[in-house]
Amino acid sequence: MKERLIFFIGVVVAVTIVLLAAGCSATSNVAANRSGAQLWGENCVRCHNAPTPATLSDWEWEVAVSHMRLRANLTELESEKIVEFLKSVN
Amino acid sequence: MKRILQYIFFIMLISASTVSFGQEEKSDEIKNLSDKISYIMPGNSKFLLRGYAHSGLEYVPDSKMTFVGGAFNPLFIYRQSDRLLFEAELETSFEEDKFDVGLEYANMSYIITKTMTLRLGKIFVPFGIFVDRLHPAWINKFPNTPLGFGHDGVLPGTDLGIEIRGGAYAGNLKYNYSFYVVNGPQLNTGEDHADDAGKLDYGIAFDNGFNKSFGTRIGLLPFSNSSLEVGFSAMIGNVGARGTEYEKVGSQLYAVDLTYVKTLNFMQSMLDVRAQASWVNVDDADYPVPDDPGQVYTFTNKSNTFFGQVSIRPAYVSAKFIKNLEFAVRYSDLNTPEGAMWETNTERWDYSLNYWIDWRTVIKFSYQSQSGGDHNEDAGEDAAGSGNAFFLHWAIGF
Repeated sequence: MKERLIFFIGVVVAVTIVLLAAGCSATSNVAANRSGAQLWGENCVRCHNAPTPATLSDWEWEVAVSHMRLRANLTELESEKIVEFLKSVN
Repeated sequence: MKRILQYIFFIMLISASTVSFGQEEKSDEIKNLSDKISYIMPGNSKFLLRGYAHSGLEYVPDSKMTFVGGAFNPLFIYRQSDRLLFEAELETSFEEDKFDVGLEYANMSYIITKTMTLRLGKIFVPFGIFVDRLHPAWINKFPNTPLGFGHDGVLPGTDLGIEIRGGAYAGNLKYNYSFYVVNGPQLNTGEDHADDAGKLDYGIAFDNGFNKSFGTRIGLLPFSNSSLEVGFSAMIGNVGARGTEYEKVGSQLYAVDLTYVKTLNFMQSMLDVRAQASWVNVDDADYPVPDDPGQVYTFTNKSNTFFGQVSIRPAYVSAKFIKNLEFAVRYSDLNTPEGAMWETNTERWDYSLNYWIDWRTVIKFSYQSQSGGDHNEDAGEDAAGSGNAFFLHWAIGF
């Protein structure tokens, strides 16, 4: 069992290193091509219902999305687009 | 004619003065209003109070019907700057005739790069998805946790340590990652409660030695709309106390999780699927027999737990009442070591009909059917006993 676990961890680490290395050099079109509204809808529902923009004020959204950036592992671009969307429809 | 021109000039002069005076007056008015509200506008540092609360009614046929819960979890978020954030969540509850206050988590996060954050303090251990993402009562679609989770479960919840986490893209593949070092679980040798010998205790404030637990979770999101995520978690470390015969006892935990959230256009509904399978392995060790401390016993210390849940909500139909309804079903099981005094093989089905008052306020009407779990009632708060139960539960996020 221990060998299997070590193998498992090795695979995870190897995949991670490859992905991190690739991520550092690659710029994704996925996030760049998606609107703030799309990113808001797609990422929020991964855990909970999508929030109503009127729930918070503009500056409160800045703080709340900073919190969610960390919790949901959003990139800087994704979180910025989501904040801009929420402010724009607030 | 000259008089008329003088008269017109005089009128224009007065008008210009009036307009100028009016503009100055308005400018002063705006400045006064701005001064009045400036004290409520945040500076560069911003503080936000969020959180959630919940309570409910529990009915166990032929046993009890009681109001339960009464929990309130305030979440303090302080954004010191664009890169620095502090978060802390308290857990307050009224249970068993006393008021409890606990620190759910408290940590400082520093954003190192666009795709990487350093987190220090008491953190949710990113092992699988339930604890890290789904446990708040207004997010959890059921009034209880799956078997194996919770304060008396076999899986980690929160711990003290350091974590590097983030999300990024490799080409068009999105992934997220977490690497962490924490104090880690501690082996319960049965010293205080003989029936718990061999269990792992989590979330203890001080480590019992120099050995830390190391862990990781990698999540892959192969679709551009982030609808599917598959995650792999692992955590290893020694769990025995330094200077004891258990010092070399190690633990290996690993898990696989799945999240799939998709709009079903043909049903005008939102489909939500979650699953997590977890394995907990602890090296073999000898534990004293409760009634005869001179004797020892041992067992193969391997536990596993699984949960899978599906929910569907017709969120896109026009009827307001219908669109706020959600039906959820969850299966979970827990298998702890054969020969342990906390041995159990428990299965549970949970069904819940939820009504969403708004996006973060829900009323849950739930039914639970549990079987097994009779080997030993000390197997855990969720695993003990078989039978059915009904819940009426409400939760609000704020």
